[in-house]
Amino acid sequence: MSAIKPIPPVAIEKPKAKVWNGARAIAEAVKVADVDVIAAYPIRPYTGIMNSLASMIANGEFTADIIVADSEHSQFEVVKHASAVGARVFAGSSGVGLAFAAEPIIVTALSQLPVVAAIGTRALDDPGNFGMEWSDALMFRDFGWLISWAKTVQEAADMTLVAYRVAEDRRVLLPHFIALDGAAITHVATPVVPVTKQQATEFLPPYRPPYRIDPQDGPVTKAQHIAPSLIGPEQRKTIDVAQKRSKQVIAEAWKDFAKYTGREYPPFLETIGMEDAEFALIGMGAYMKDIELVASRLRSKGYKVGTVRLRYVRPFPAEELINALGGVKAAGVIEFGYSFGSPFGTGSLYHEVATSLYEADTKPTLLDFLFLGGREPTVEHFTQLAEKVIESAHKKPQKKTYWLTLRGEDI
Amino acid sequence: MSSQVAFKNIKEIPPVDYYTSGRRTCAGCGPAIGYRLISKAAGPNTIFIGPTGCMYVANAHQFLTSPYAVPWHHTQLGGGGAAAIGVASALRTLMLKGKRKLEDINVVVMGGDGAMADIGFSGLSMGLSYDYQRLLYIIYDNEAYMNTGVQASSTTPWGATTTFTPAGKVKPIGNTRLKKNMALVAAAHPKVKYVATATLWPPLDLMNKVHRALNAGGPTLIHVLLPCPKGWFTDPSATVDLSRLAVETGMWVLWESIEGQFKLNYKPKPRKHVREYLAPQGRFSHLKDEDMEKIDKMIEEEWKFWEESAKLGRLVVPY
Amino acid sequence: MTVKLVKVTPKVERYPEYEELDWVIAHGLGVDHTADITSFSQTIAQAGSIKGIETYYYMRYDDSPERNYIPMAFYTVLGKPKVPVLLHEEVEPVGELFKVIAVFSSSLLLQKTAQRALLFDGAKKDAILLVNTSITTDDVVRLVKKYNLAQDWFGKVVTISAAKIDSAIAYPMLGALARGWDRIDLDSILTALDVLGKEKKKESVRKGYEAASVKEVHVLAEETEMFKKIKREVELPEFTGEFWTPEVYYAYQKAAAEAQTYPSRIATMPRWEVLAPGLIEFGPQPGKRNLGFTTPWRWQRPIIDMNKCTDCKLCHYYCPDGAIDFAPIKVDYDYCKGCGTCEKVCPVKAIKMVPEIEYLEGLRDEEVLRRFEQREYGF
Repeated sequence: MSAIKPIPPVAIEKPKAKVWNGARAIAEAVKVADVDVIAAYPIRPYTGIMNSLASMIANGEFTADIIVADSEHSQFEVVKHASAVGARVFAGSSGVGLAFAAEPIIVTALSQLPVVAAIGTRALDDPGNFGMEWSDALMFRDFGWLISWAKTVQEAADMTLVAYRVAEDRRVLLPHFIALDGAAITHVATPVVPVTKQQATEFLPPYRPPYRIDPQDGPVTKAQHIAPSLIGPEQRKTIDVAQKRSKQVIAEAWKDFAKYTGREYPPFLETIGMEDAEFALIGMGAYMKDIELVASRLRSKGYKVGTVRLRYVRPFPAEELINALGGVKAAGVIEFGYSFGSPFGTGSLYHEVATSLYEADTKPTLLDFLFLGGREPTVEHFTQLAEKVIESAHKKPQKKTYWLTLRGEDI
Repeated sequence: MSSQVAFKNIKEIPPVDYYTSGRRTCAGCGPAIGYRLISKAAGPNTIFIGPTGCMYVANAHQFLTSPYAVPWHHTQLGGGGAAAIGVASALRTLMLKGKRKLEDINVVVMGGDGAMADIGFSGLSMGLSYDYQRLLYIIYDNEAYMNTGVQASSTTPWGATTTFTPAGKVKPIGNTRLKKNMALVAAAHPKVKYVATATLWPPLDLMNKVHRALNAGGPTLIHVLLPCPKGWFTDPSATVDLSRLAVETGMWVLWESIEGQFKLNYKPKPRKHVREYLAPQGRFSHLKDEDMEKIDKMIEEEWKFWEESAKLGRLVVPY
Repeated sequence: MTVKLVKVTPKVERYPEYEELDWVIAHGLGVDHTADITSFSQTIAQAGSIKGIETYYYMRYDDSPERNYIPMAFYTVLGKPKVPVLLHEEVEPVGELFKVIAVFSSSLLLQKTAQRALLFDGAKKDAILLVNTSITTDDVVRLVKKYNLAQDWFGKVVTISAAKIDSAIAYPMLGALARGWDRIDLDSILTALDVLGKEKKKESVRKGYEAASVKEVHVLAEETEMFKKIKREVELPEFTGEFWTPEVYYAYQKAAAEAQTYPSRIATMPRWEVLAPGLIEFGPQPGKRNLGFTTPWRWQRPIIDMNKCTDCKLCHYYCPDGAIDFAPIKVDYDYCKGCGTCEKVCPVKAIKMVPEIEYLEGLRDEEVLRRFEQREYGF
């Protein structure tokens, strides 16, 4: 069922690190992944990826067709259909751009086409706002997309290659979002060790969908209208199973990735200091670096604080999370996404964590810390919230959720 | 650009349908006739893209079957323009990179008036600005959203009653917007190699236009008027007759623009009064004589521009 | 790859609660009869409501968006005290429901297998069959025995030639219904029309009441010709864990095409493991036709006089359903929907449309010859 399995090289090639911002690093990964069709439409902060790709293509660094679309809706239609024909594709967007493209984005997953797309996360309008929120990406957690979240520019680039490998695996065949915290990843430049063309070719087998929309594969009809009395839950189940199977494929892919590049990542959760932790800070994305710093400061003061970073939101690593939080007295979810009117006014990531913990034998006190409206947090905010978590272990907290960076009464 | 006439005689058309029998289209469905003829003309090396509409839902899945004998893929109602670019781009890139053998493959979008003139207008315009070969956009225009139960679109003619523009006591006309001319819109895209209008009559006209379009060497569009017995409230057997009457009354103008060269395909002599075309249609049954006269005058005026265009050999915008 | 087949008999669920209600099912051809069937059902529901009965009517939604000539149906349900009225889209397979089967075109009496269900599937033993036709009640009974599987039926046939009275055939049909069924009497229908603001139609209802023919019937299952022939089981590919292959798909398609009842067609739908990712189907190979399910759409059929035919191919060219073979010119009646386009486009008048009832049974039915002069909107 799975495709060609190449043999890893004996000596791992280690190219020199280059200082690239997230946009450029992703573009370099897309280049070595030998992507065929790219569709672009501008919106901050993801646009830089497309700028880089367009320039690489214009200068002959690799061969791909870049479609300058008339809208995000068209952008995602282009890649969806190119993927159905058998092309490896790339797209991306941010904020309200994703909202505009919601229709093709949703059907891409429901018709099981392994499109890979980057999201530079951004607050949704109105009012227009360049700041970072997660609501644009988390809008799509319910439709079958795989969603991973990068902490560093290096990880973002590596995730791009792994995304193709996972999405195109015949056990999965689902589209894949790579969420990049707006500005913090997309616009920040750090040294990045690139994946070489050779490594990418060996790690990533060619894309071969089971049936292409191509006369070569015969009269294949795809995504006809159906009568639900005939086909309904059955089609939904194929997607559900693909999501469930993806966990194994993701684990395999990261293991293999380490073999080819020497860079090791835990597949689903990155935990620091959780072995003996009494307090946990749970989050995702670029600000985990600051949160990890805060945790280590508190540790030096004698508080047993650990951090749990989710690398994937879909599939959601619920068992891994329960295991990581075993023995923890209190935990805080730190997040940039919200759902207005939700239970206890909690955020989107909190819902995922709380649902998982409902199945745990022991449940820590769980608090929710929200950074909304795009205002950037500081280490000071993370310190404050960590102290609240520690305090909640021995004193029942007065409330569950805290809007940080907010001016005015947090009611 | 091949200007040869591919189908000279009905006896010489391909006997095979690639859009085959066994589907839930209405008895007497105009778009179904159009689809059959287009698929015949395009031949086996064709990929059809089907935006949402009658030609998606009425051809729907019944017991894991499909009426398409060539690859077919649904796209969203507003996605026709972009989906075809995706397919054409993938084919060209895969061939260019040696990942697929070199071959001429037609990409044909069968979009309705809603899918092309309304919600998918922007994507269509984007598609027409690219230079992919063998890319053909068909607007199968039955002049309203028929699939959802006859709601007005921007190609619904003046005076037609639809469920969103019903003729009533206070608003006696029904639809008061004028029909959008999509072929003119398409012709305004500089890279478009071929634009035409067609309907089911005269025979072979549509098939030959499809042939010309696919061999034109760039993106192309054919705006095809296809009568809808359900939404026009006509007898299912009258579909082809209505096509003929639309042409003979001058309400549907058959023309081509081949790399900017305008050609009027048919000039009714003498032009029949629009009443002959409108009267058999239930959707115009509320119109008074003076309304019909008004439409006839509008058509008369419009034709001056078509004749001018024919004389000049290039389009003169008639509105 | 060869596909091994196994026999499956569909399970037919029954809901005794449903059977206590009075269901009226009204069959017609899409678009042509929509407005009339809507008025028919609405008036019955209104009449029920006037009598204080819990009631509702609805369209079988799977047929929507409806198509010209597609066999379509409306249900009207009249409740009983303490019996909950439930909405359920798929009512055919759930037991003995229908007290009244109203048929708006006699062509529907000829169906061998329908899009959804056999005409008498789901009927009560004492059902009333109300038909808009000019043929006699005896002829209707004969057709029912021949085609429609009314097993052990001890009910009534009511016929009415409705279009002779009013081009809006719903109203004479309502009068005829009142004549044959005491649950909804003439007075309550007339009152309902007052409430609905359709006072002008009361005369048509009264005329229908007068003109209707009623006949008591006793039919035993053994008397129906097709009873023994009907196959309710289906043959499906054995599930082996092999999936996504066209061969398996084609086997499912074949099973569905051969299934004769709606429950058995539903039983031909595969389990999820069979489905290729992204919901793929496989169309016919070029030159073949898709397995169609459109036979019962046709109320008239084209007959080609080959002596007149000049083989110009125009009928093949213009057939909306591709139902006319190119060479030699021949109609495939499994696919013809009876639209009449071929008759209109034939330059030498070699094609004539003949009503199915005349072609198959030699009966002349004025009602199927009737065409709408003025259509109403009925969405």
